[in-house]
Amino acid sequence: MQAEKTKPRNPTVSEKLRHLLISQEGVLFLIMLASVLFLATRTDKFLTVENLLQQGRFMAEVGLIAIPMTYIIITGGIDLSVGSILGLTAIVLGWTWQELGFPLELAIITGIISGTVAGFVNGLFIVRVGVPPLIMTLATLALYRGLAEGISQARSARGYPEWFFQLGQGELLGIPTQLWLLIIAVVIFAIVLARTRLGRALYAIGNNETGARFSGLTVNRHLLFIYTFSGFMSAVAGYIFVSRVSTTRSDMGTGIELDVIAAVVLGGTSIFGGTGSIPGAIIGVVLIQLLKNGLVLTGVTSDATIVVIGSVLIFAILVNNFIQRKRDES
Amino acid sequence: MKKTLAITLILALFPALVSMPLSAQDRWDGSDELDVNPLECMGAEMMDDGDMEEDMDMPEYDGGMVAMGDSMAGMDIVVVDVPKLIGIGYFGATTLGQQLAAEELGNVSVSTDGPTDANIDDQIQVIDSYITQGVDGILFAANDPVAIAPVLRKALEAGIYVVGYDANSEPDARQWFVNQAEFNGIGKALIDSLVGQKGEDASFGIVTSTFTTPNQARWVSEMWAYATECFPDLDWLETLEAQEDAGLSFQQAQTLINKYGEDLDGIIGLTSVATPASADAVNQADVCEDVAVVGLALPNAMKPYVSTGCVRDVILWNPVDLGYAALYVLRAVVDGEFNPGDSSVMAGKLGELMVVNGSEVLLGPPFVYNMDNIDDFDF
Repeated sequence: MQAEKTKPRNPTVSEKLRHLLISQEGVLFLIMLASVLFLATRTDKFLTVENLLQQGRFMAEVGLIAIPMTYIIITGGIDLSVGSILGLTAIVLGWTWQELGFPLELAIITGIISGTVAGFVNGLFIVRVGVPPLIMTLATLALYRGLAEGISQARSARGYPEWFFQLGQGELLGIPTQLWLLIIAVVIFAIVLARTRLGRALYAIGNNETGARFSGLTVNRHLLFIYTFSGFMSAVAGYIFVSRVSTTRSDMGTGIELDVIAAVVLGGTSIFGGTGSIPGAIIGVVLIQLLKNGLVLTGVTSDATIVVIGSVLIFAILVNNFIQRKRDES
Repeated sequence: MKKTLAITLILALFPALVSMPLSAQDRWDGSDELDVNPLECMGAEMMDDGDMEEDMDMPEYDGGMVAMGDSMAGMDIVVVDVPKLIGIGYFGATTLGQQLAAEELGNVSVSTDGPTDANIDDQIQVIDSYITQGVDGILFAANDPVAIAPVLRKALEAGIYVVGYDANSEPDARQWFVNQAEFNGIGKALIDSLVGQKGEDASFGIVTSTFTTPNQARWVSEMWAYATECFPDLDWLETLEAQEDAGLSFQQAQTLINKYGEDLDGIIGLTSVATPASADAVNQADVCEDVAVVGLALPNAMKPYVSTGCVRDVILWNPVDLGYAALYVLRAVVDGEFNPGDSSVMAGKLGELMVVNGSEVLLGPPFVYNMDNIDDFDF
């Protein structure tokens, strides 16, 4: 009898909804909704299917890299080399195809393998040598970019066959091809993070790495995996990027790491590790992209736009901190 | 097993590493792979105006076509100008030129917007947004000739008139391109100035933006071609990248001065940032006598060095005129006064500008600023 009384009853729908709304992602989603509605009232060019799909095309690369970045930041790490890996992949792809005469399919695979290996090397040094992730990936940020410039000799590879552009410029069932890829990746890896042992292990590592080690988690293996995964996703993003802009340049992806980290952190992932989610990160990506686009459409110039985006970032984080603190108190 | 896997993976990266020194046997100086067209050597048959060789057969128009909508001849049009980046003096000057032209024309409203870094992806997104917003005309200076092409074609398809200036795209992605100075003209002017100051066996270094920037890569190629033909004894020491960053350019110029010391006779700056920074480095190192700085730069930035005699020649076209001409060309196209096949176009106070290379409008020969004339210019 006693036990039955203390047993928690199932939360009602409205309680669930309330809980969802005051969660990090919920608050951010509301901010995004507000921004979208505001922008839509300012110009009728913004809230059209065509424009939104086009924005989806533009944000696919950042979105794809945001997934592993969320994983990494949850463990308390960081990966600054993603933009350079993207550039390296692009160059290896173009160079093996044009200079070494690889078939394009093989060149794509070689490019993606190089990017993955680049991520693996990051992980290896972080895990085996114990270099802090910030330092290691800062070093490879320069190193991989240098490799890309060295291999390319400043020449860009152009003139790809038509089918190659399908991924970056084509569409499938009316939706940009790369957006499908992003959606599928987001669904799979959101579930992996939220519902599997791997996901829980990442949170454990982020909250207390030593504790995780003593509880028998294979911390090193997990870390090695996520940095390799980050290399892989950056490489895929690199492939998409080349397909979208139809040329390879060694400066591709410069600065994309900051866009990605901004989106992930905006999405509620703590830079100190332990908390965060994929839906949050993706809302972050979408919010930044829609603001960029919507503000230009309403006649705000690009330099003012980045000021607004910076302010929204701070505002969103402040509001979220405030609400989360209230929630914890109640 | 895991170790083997790790080693295999690292080995997989190895070919990439090995390939670097192998292919680096070519000059790694930021030149590109396109054909070069060096001009006649200095002294030998001075060319009047640089456009003599265009008396040969006119190549066919190879620009793009705008999707035909209602003619907007004589009507008010809204034009957006998307330079490589905003917030630097050079593109400030082109913007000024466009504003002047818009004032004279009276029926064009032009505004400038662009990425805050010279980043091709951002530039594509800005242009895409303006297409969605629905402007009548787009002026652009491309960060990459190929990457920008799809979005410009999209503009043409949407019935938007597209004219480039400063940095070209693939020809069929825009209608006309206003060429500020042909690459071979600039290459020749730079080398001639250097040789004029330091002799035919001078040793020099180059400070450029990045090896992938199309204009800079082209100039290096043309300088190389011209020098190989006319001054084979010139000693090319090194080409250094410095983005378009003043601090970095200064450091790179300092590197050249410290590394080569006595052997360094000249520094060629290929960006409007690198040249003043190099002059500053030479000035601070107190080697004005030994090291000649030649390069492309805006006059205002170079006045201190030219007035003290530390720098003799500054080579450039007039970017105000460039922006001015670009808007005039666009207006002429909209009004139907300038069509494929024409050999010249009228551009307000600049007079008649010649068409070269099929679909390019040439602004004129490069301009040399020196102690005598630099104070006449203010930009």
